[in-house]
Amino acid sequence: MSRRLWAAAAVIAAVVALSASAASAAETVGSCILDEIAAAKFEGIEGEGFTAAKNLKTLAAAGDEHAEELKVALGDDLEGCFDAPNPIIPEIKEIVWGGLAFVVLLALMYWKLFPVVRNLMEQRTQRIQDAIDDADRQRSEAAEVKANYEAELADAKAEAARIVDEAREQAGAVRADLQARAEADIAEMRERAAADVEASKRQAIADLQSEVSDIALGAAEAVLGRSLEDPEMQRQLVDDYIASVGAGQD
Amino acid sequence: MTDRSVSYADAVAAVARAEGNLDAVSDELFRVARALEGSDELRMTLSDRQVPAARRQQIVEDLLGGQALETTTAVVSMIVAAGRSSDLIGIAREAVEINARDRGRSVAEVRSAVALTGDQAERLSAALSAATGHQVDVKVVVDPSIMGGVVATIGDEVIDGSVRHRLSQLRDTF
Repeated sequence: MSRRLWAAAAVIAAVVALSASAASAAETVGSCILDEIAAAKFEGIEGEGFTAAKNLKTLAAAGDEHAEELKVALGDDLEGCFDAPNPIIPEIKEIVWGGLAFVVLLALMYWKLFPVVRNLMEQRTQRIQDAIDDADRQRSEAAEVKANYEAELADAKAEAARIVDEAREQAGAVRADLQARAEADIAEMRERAAADVEASKRQAIADLQSEVSDIALGAAEAVLGRSLEDPEMQRQLVDDYIASVGAGQD
Repeated sequence: MTDRSVSYADAVAAVARAEGNLDAVSDELFRVARALEGSDELRMTLSDRQVPAARRQQIVEDLLGGQALETTTAVVSMIVAAGRSSDLIGIAREAVEINARDRGRSVAEVRSAVALTGDQAERLSAALSAATGHQVDVKVVVDPSIMGGVVATIGDEVIDGSVRHRLSQLRDTF
């Protein structure tokens, strides 16, 4: 910071010094012209003297009719005043004056301007630093928010994946359970149907046997009933019973 | 068989012994019991407590009077008057048992579709005595429901030779 300030001050002082050198150069051309006018001898022109001021007054009073004489009188002297100085190396006095101006200006700047500029620069630096810090803080906060968001997003994705997996597992379990139940129901229905068929078959056979036996027994009873109406048959039955009891048979 | 029926039977047997006709009384009681078994109306009438005891006794007198011993009529009338008509069958059976025991014999209740001749009854008694090992008195009950043959019951033992039983066995075989 300080080096920058010093560099800026040096640049400003150099510009001012160069301006002073230019001004000093311009003053040298003017002085040369006045000197040549003062040294000129105007022939045929009446005047009070031959100082520069007198000559200028004389020339003003002579009017345009003496312009040609004036041009002759000055001749090529004035042309010499317009010869360009050395563009690289100024004259000594210009360097001295320029250096003095530089030093004075530098002192003034060091005394008055530098603290103000330094304060302004420090305030601006502080503001920039604060802005940078604030930006860093906001960036950190943003990064933290982003990290939280990403973490939450990852958690949400993981939760969603878990829910989907769980739902898929439950669906699989339900499907398997339903399938098992359906298979069990089908097997039970088949067994029940087979049992019903078997029971129906047995019942039909039993009914048929009962029917046949009823018919046969009915026929036998009818025949037997007619036979039992015979007293001799009854007597024979009693005698057979007595004989079987006597023989030890029931 | 309840203790009360046995007590009544003992009392009846004691009266009959006193009168000297236990054998005949027990036989007539057996017949009365068979009559009660064969007539629901008579059994219900004699057991109906709504009917006055005198009326029930009069019914007994009307049924047995002149056809049975006075002792038999008296003991039956006494049992009916005491309101034990429902026990009359058991009392009669026990009285027959007592009479048989007095003579060292057992009683066989024999059911037949037709009445047995005297010869058949004697041969059956002899056959049952041989089968059981002791003397048996045969009490015949005509029961057409057995269709034919004989069913003999001696105590808890039943010897069933009826046609009905044979048909039932045949039906079970089918």
